[in-house]
Amino acid sequence: MDLPCGTRNYDYARDMAVLRTKTHWMLFIGLLAVVFTAPLYWSNYWLGVANLIGITIIAAIGLNILIGYCGQLSIGHAGFMAIGAYTTAVLTGKLGFPFLGGLICSGFTAGFIGLIFGLPSVRVKGFYLAITTIAAQFIIIWVINHWAPVTGGFVGLKVPYASIGDFIFRSKASQFYLIMVIAALCILFDKNLARGRIGRAFIAVRDNDLAAEVMGINLAYYKLLAFFIGCFLAGIAGALFAHWVGFLNAESFTLSDSILYIGMVIIGGLGTTLGPVLGAILIRLLQQGIMYISPLLEGTFPTLPAGFTTGIGPMVFGLVIILFLVFEPRGLAHRWMLFKAAYRLWPFSY
Amino acid sequence: MAELLQYTITGIAVGMIYALIALGFALVWKSSSVANLALGQLVLISSWFTYGMLVQAKFPLWIGFPLTILFALFLGWMIERFTLRPLIAQPILSLITVTLGVAYFLEGLVTFVWPVSVGALPRFFPQEPIYIGPAVVSQEYVWAAGISLLLFGLLSLFFKYHRMGIAMRATADDQLAVQACAIPVTSVFSTSWMFACVVAAIGGVLISSIGGVTFGLVETGLKSFSVVILGGLDSFVGCIVAGPIIGLAENLGGGYLTQFIGPGIKDIIPFIIIIIVMVIKPYGLFGETRIERI
Repeated sequence: MDLPCGTRNYDYARDMAVLRTKTHWMLFIGLLAVVFTAPLYWSNYWLGVANLIGITIIAAIGLNILIGYCGQLSIGHAGFMAIGAYTTAVLTGKLGFPFLGGLICSGFTAGFIGLIFGLPSVRVKGFYLAITTIAAQFIIIWVINHWAPVTGGFVGLKVPYASIGDFIFRSKASQFYLIMVIAALCILFDKNLARGRIGRAFIAVRDNDLAAEVMGINLAYYKLLAFFIGCFLAGIAGALFAHWVGFLNAESFTLSDSILYIGMVIIGGLGTTLGPVLGAILIRLLQQGIMYISPLLEGTFPTLPAGFTTGIGPMVFGLVIILFLVFEPRGLAHRWMLFKAAYRLWPFSY
Repeated sequence: MAELLQYTITGIAVGMIYALIALGFALVWKSSSVANLALGQLVLISSWFTYGMLVQAKFPLWIGFPLTILFALFLGWMIERFTLRPLIAQPILSLITVTLGVAYFLEGLVTFVWPVSVGALPRFFPQEPIYIGPAVVSQEYVWAAGISLLLFGLLSLFFKYHRMGIAMRATADDQLAVQACAIPVTSVFSTSWMFACVVAAIGGVLISSIGGVTFGLVETGLKSFSVVILGGLDSFVGCIVAGPIIGLAENLGGGYLTQFIGPGIKDIIPFIIIIIVMVIKPYGLFGETRIERI
């Protein structure tokens, strides 16, 4: 890791610390201050966007553990989110569970179902696994749509607000705090997971699974563990999403969403902690931008085809995914590293 | 009995179309080991293009179809040239995800140009149903199966005798050796993509002549993944054998299981088959089992 001059590693604990220098600490405290005072000066609309970004970050972190660290391509992430969302909807809405219990249960349900669909990963990889997870996506959504007594079927399901004790997260601002705290915990978890034994085992499996096995890494265990953790986080994100929107429908968890999550992880940078955060923020802001700009464009240029508003979004995202893969496969996180290195060395480039 | 026969015949016919689309996948996989996850969207966009040519621009069949084929060729060339060629020798993850990006883009393009959700192609097959024993089958299915079989035959001949076909098989076998023999590997790649797109386009037109042009075509394309998986990724024979099996399973299952499980079971049978094959025999019926060494 690149560090400014004069930062020395006096002991192991300091070597491992995430925040190493005074500047790190100042930036970190500044970020915390900005994020946690945000509800004071952001409008409700932007708080909603920020909430969605927070939820997306959690899901993207889960997917990043699966794809970025462990190298297991999953194209069914939205499906696993759907499991989490519906679990909490049924548990809290119909059975009267408390919110936190529902949240944990959604994580575990999604994790275990992810484990089942991840079983083929023990034997196959690459494209085969991708297809299996696509199949998982379709089967999950089909079950949700057709298991009407429990999930409400095509009609959908109402979800109560999140609540801890007597406090109900009704306002956008309170939801914002809830989501941001959980997202921050997830980021911390991801950072520490990646640095520990498990994360290193994942990386070994990703880089060469045969060699990893020879080194004494239990392939089946770690691949399934990656599926479990990735889908667990997807379940958490899905549960938060359910409480956030208040009304569930399988339409919110399509194959396109799954692809979009993969896009976020790629754009952000595979196998980094920062990557999924940046990717989620960029894609969601891009969506906002498109939502803002396309009616304007349609108003100014009446000759545009009628499908402009709905079609332009997927086109832009597809294009962004392709361009990033071709020109910057290591993603925004890599760009950020380069920027930091350049900034540190400026004005000398060596 | 009549029901059974009917399901069987429709199943085999639809399965042949799946097999045709799957062939496009196997083609690309064999020559360049790129997994084309945009298959469904290729089917979608070429069917809509046909709709645009035949219904919106009102071209007669004999202009509209060649235009569709040309469009498919162009599409295949574009995809290979601008997304896959820059990624040659990148990890397989990038190769798979870039086709996902293409899929996303094409889907957006379709909603962009054709915002209507359903379109009907003009009828180009005779309307009278055919009576086979006690079963009544509409002619479209028979024609679709026939055309698919014919294309299979032509493609097999192409691979057996044509220079390009032989070059493609050789590339599948060993890229380095092929380059040493002065065969341009990149043009083999782009040819295989063009072929894949054409095959997907024809499959799409056949399917949508039966069921209309809708967004469900994406799922049709995705269903042909189950054909590929069941037959084995790198096997043409696998496609021809597995296609009708999937079609049969889908139609028989849809016919007889609906009353027990509920409507729509037909749509996920191929995906359930994928999971089962993955657990039991991941390399498919005819696929080559890979043995890896460090």
